[in-house]
Amino acid sequence: MSTRLRTALFSALLVLAVAWPVLGLKLTTVGIRLEVHNASPAMLWSIAAAALGMFCWQLGRDRLAALWSGAASRPAVPGRLKEVLSLPATQRWGLLALLVPALVWPFFASRGAVDLATLILIYAMLGLGLNIVVGLAGLLDLGYVGFYAVGAYTYALLSEYWGLGFWTCLPIAGAMAALFGFLLGFPVLRLRGDYLAIVTLGFGEIIRILLRNLTDVTGGPNGIGGIDKPTLFGLTFERRAAEGLQTFHGFFGLPYDSADKVIFLYLIALALVLLTLFVINRLLRMPIGRAWEALREDEIACRALGLNPTVIKLSAFTLGACFAGFAGSFFAARQGLVTPESFSFIESAVILAIVVLGGMGSQLGVILAAVVMILLPELMREFSEYRMLLFGALLVLMMVWRPQGLLPMQRPHLELKS
Amino acid sequence: MPELYHYLQQLVNGLTVGSTYALIAIGYTMVYGIIGMINFAHGEVYMIASYVAFIAIAGLSMLGLDHLPLLMAAAFAASIVVASAYGYSIERLAYRPLRGGNRLIPLISAIGMSIFLQNEVLLAQDSRDKAIPSLLPGNLVIGESAMHGVVISWTQILIFAVILLVMLGLTLFISRSRLGRACRACAEDLKMAGLLGIDTHRIIALTFVIGAVLAAVAAVLLGLQYGVINPQMGFLAGIKAFTAAVLGGIGSIPGAMLGGLLLGVAEAFGADLFGDAYKDVVAFSLLVLVLLLRPTGILGRPEVEKV
Amino acid sequence: MHKATRHLSRLFAALALAGATFHAAAAEPVRIALAGPVTGPVAQYGDMQFIGAKLAIERINEAGGVNGQLLEGSVYDDACDPKQAVAVANKIVNDGIAFVVGHLCSSSTQPAADIYEDEGVLMITPAATSPQITAQGYQLIFRTIGLDSLQGPTAGAFIAERIKPQRVAVLHDKQQYGEGIATAVRKTLQERGVEVALFEGLNAGDKDFSAMIAKLKQAGVDFVYYGGYHPELGLLLRQSAEKGLKVRFMGPEGVGNKELSAIAGPASEGLLLTLPRAFDRDPHNQVLVEAFKAKNQDPSGPFVFPAYAAVQLIAQGIEKAGSSEPEAVAEALRGNTFDTVTGTLAFDDKGDLKDFGFEVYEWHRDASKTRVE
Repeated sequence: MSTRLRTALFSALLVLAVAWPVLGLKLTTVGIRLEVHNASPAMLWSIAAAALGMFCWQLGRDRLAALWSGAASRPAVPGRLKEVLSLPATQRWGLLALLVPALVWPFFASRGAVDLATLILIYAMLGLGLNIVVGLAGLLDLGYVGFYAVGAYTYALLSEYWGLGFWTCLPIAGAMAALFGFLLGFPVLRLRGDYLAIVTLGFGEIIRILLRNLTDVTGGPNGIGGIDKPTLFGLTFERRAAEGLQTFHGFFGLPYDSADKVIFLYLIALALVLLTLFVINRLLRMPIGRAWEALREDEIACRALGLNPTVIKLSAFTLGACFAGFAGSFFAARQGLVTPESFSFIESAVILAIVVLGGMGSQLGVILAAVVMILLPELMREFSEYRMLLFGALLVLMMVWRPQGLLPMQRPHLELKS
Repeated sequence: MPELYHYLQQLVNGLTVGSTYALIAIGYTMVYGIIGMINFAHGEVYMIASYVAFIAIAGLSMLGLDHLPLLMAAAFAASIVVASAYGYSIERLAYRPLRGGNRLIPLISAIGMSIFLQNEVLLAQDSRDKAIPSLLPGNLVIGESAMHGVVISWTQILIFAVILLVMLGLTLFISRSRLGRACRACAEDLKMAGLLGIDTHRIIALTFVIGAVLAAVAAVLLGLQYGVINPQMGFLAGIKAFTAAVLGGIGSIPGAMLGGLLLGVAEAFGADLFGDAYKDVVAFSLLVLVLLLRPTGILGRPEVEKV
Repeated sequence: MHKATRHLSRLFAALALAGATFHAAAAEPVRIALAGPVTGPVAQYGDMQFIGAKLAIERINEAGGVNGQLLEGSVYDDACDPKQAVAVANKIVNDGIAFVVGHLCSSSTQPAADIYEDEGVLMITPAATSPQITAQGYQLIFRTIGLDSLQGPTAGAFIAERIKPQRVAVLHDKQQYGEGIATAVRKTLQERGVEVALFEGLNAGDKDFSAMIAKLKQAGVDFVYYGGYHPELGLLLRQSAEKGLKVRFMGPEGVGNKELSAIAGPASEGLLLTLPRAFDRDPHNQVLVEAFKAKNQDPSGPFVFPAYAAVQLIAQGIEKAGSSEPEAVAEALRGNTFDTVTGTLAFDDKGDLKDFGFEVYEWHRDASKTRVE
């Protein structure tokens, strides 16, 4: 009993030490002097209540836990369903089934919703690209946003200086990002595990800082603005067309509707995501795809089987970068403005979180996670100032409750039943 | 001669910044050495400790007790206690339940924790910079005058002294005490240490607490030096310290110290040569360069591949 | 679980009811979106803008509104992040709001302005000072604050004529606002034959400028101009004093914040800065200053009165145009002059103020300031 009392006391004190100084006291600048004041009484009482609650819970933990397990069992997904859901075939059909509503939906939805969906698709594409590197090849890349930035700036610069259009620049941006991935990957891929992680993080930061400081070329912190939106076979979706171009609504004799542009962008994003999915699915069945997964499972065994780890890693790294480049040039087109601050480390973290949350290696999972990660903060706009707090907490809780991800991928296997 | 003074001055500046990187870096390196995870929330612990130190200092000055040693003692005590509580709780809530799984999962959890803590402070203390005046003004001039000579402020000297003491204490603790030995055993082989009767959960919690204590010391010292805090400060400090830890060889405590100093000096001279805006580029390039030549950092042990 | 849902639905019902009654009271109000940072590192500047605009809405409504319609303001948070600004702009368009007072940061104003112009929403920014924003020839974009390009020459001319330094260092924080002003200052100084020995950027958010200060010493400068905001300048002043660098500093209105003195302490004494005319000292505005103080708000921030004026302009523009169509209002704004709390305002073709004066002030350690004649 005494040990339990001690634990309970310790836990209660811990709650106090964690909560009281930071939440219960508030630093305020009065004039030019810094002063400390008490937070609202409600806050102080809730801290006290939390400490007391912790104390009681620790004291009667076993009994309460027993009660809990007896009364409420979580509405778990039945085992059979879980099994079916995580099969690759189901996930593929799931994706196909989502396609039709995804195509039709924007014509009936509001402008803001379509716009948000476009953003989700960008992150889905980024997630799918990073999934190759992290989920399939097992390389921890914390600087993925660097390639995204390369793609975005490639389009922005080409459009700014040579007036090239989106469709010309899209492949160039992908190729540029892939080139960067190749060049950076070459020296760093012999590093292992977390060293690779920190070096990629460093590269991501270097790219961002260079973009911010090379003011003459990249516009520095102001970035590059006024980037052209994509056209449909030379038809623009603007209200007034630039010389030599025709507007979409003018060509078809429709009244101008600003929603057209948003829907068009959405459809391009959807097409890009589908392309990404298609390519990755094809690659996965080719020897190279198999090699990625083999490498993730056991590098030494791979080497013993005569596979060249450097080539395999490099191919995954380059390909992942390439998709980030596509996503980047589309992002630049949608946003109309690129600034270095759009490519900070937190973006890499969000993309990585999408991959892990989705269940590493699972493509439907990644898309689902992209929806969750981008939609959640937007939905939580109502809680405005609390939304990032909740977001962080949810990330932790999700990892604790569902470490395998939302929709983990099951590898094809046979089970022998005795 | 003026050239020499200038470079000496940059060296001193670099060493000051670097020694505080080193202090935070040890927190990363010890945790990594034992459970092989990057504790991304460590920078936020440093940030919270800074807030607590400021609360202690501002609170005592409001009561009229603005006697420097007293203020510093209070700031150290308060921030060490609270930072330890945070270090322990973070490990207990966000990492312990995840132990033994894929190593990416604690990483995401750590990123989530980092976002959570940053926003907790943002909401409780608002986003404005909080500032305290210089408590230890004045400086020591070596050379002809302040404009032509090496200037070391009293705060910098204090930083060097405290950090030297702390490092000495830590080294003694790790090499001599029973708990220190247990820490080393866990770093060597966690499973084996567990089999030999070491309470590994407790040792892991202890490393988190030690890391937090060192971050708190750094928080108080840097609070005195710069006098400004905000909720966003943890991120950059964390990244820099982590870079220092990797540079020195992650998992190695002397490595973290060396890495921190090296990073600080490189930044000072980088700023001098290429401009202040490029000093982060210099820091990361140095990291990449070192890792290319020595893939496990300067003092890191080469990883043995086991089948 | 069920209990939670029930609670939630009850909450939503209550909210919907509250919304409905609110709408019923005000018959078809003119809705104005107040866009700026509620969260993020520069939220305090957003505050200045919001309190100014809200008081204007309140007082105009007390006086009977515009053409019989009341004004209704709602706050949108862009956190000064360009990406969120685009989302917010789309949301405003979606919500059918035709007038925007905002945004704050130049970097988030720019992409948002693109959308507003496209979607026929009239925007007046009381804070974004980058010349680029109005350089594209927009029809619906206005501002009630002076440009960076005006503030730089004022500062540069003051340095060249009054300080007459030998060697000047011009530093900036590599952000749109700071670098823009710093570039303008350097240009003016060079035109007037003052040597700019050092022109360099530093990282906003950084804490340690000791390396920079050693460089300033080495370059032997006797005057430093800093383009940026107060946190970095405060640290620069503080560390310069600690390191024995005794030169005078000057900055733009973005450094004119009380926290500058909290950070730099005695080192902030004697700092020079350019500020827009102090509207809160204007005898005509004393009623408003009292109103702000009664609400426990600080009227001295640089964006409070420009935001107030922006709302006044929308109201007066609607009255002049006789309609609340943004295009008509924009035309009215261009063609007339208006009496506002920041003086008599008139716009040029680009949507900028025809005249906006800056004055030079000297800052003191207790965060007060005196005008330098």
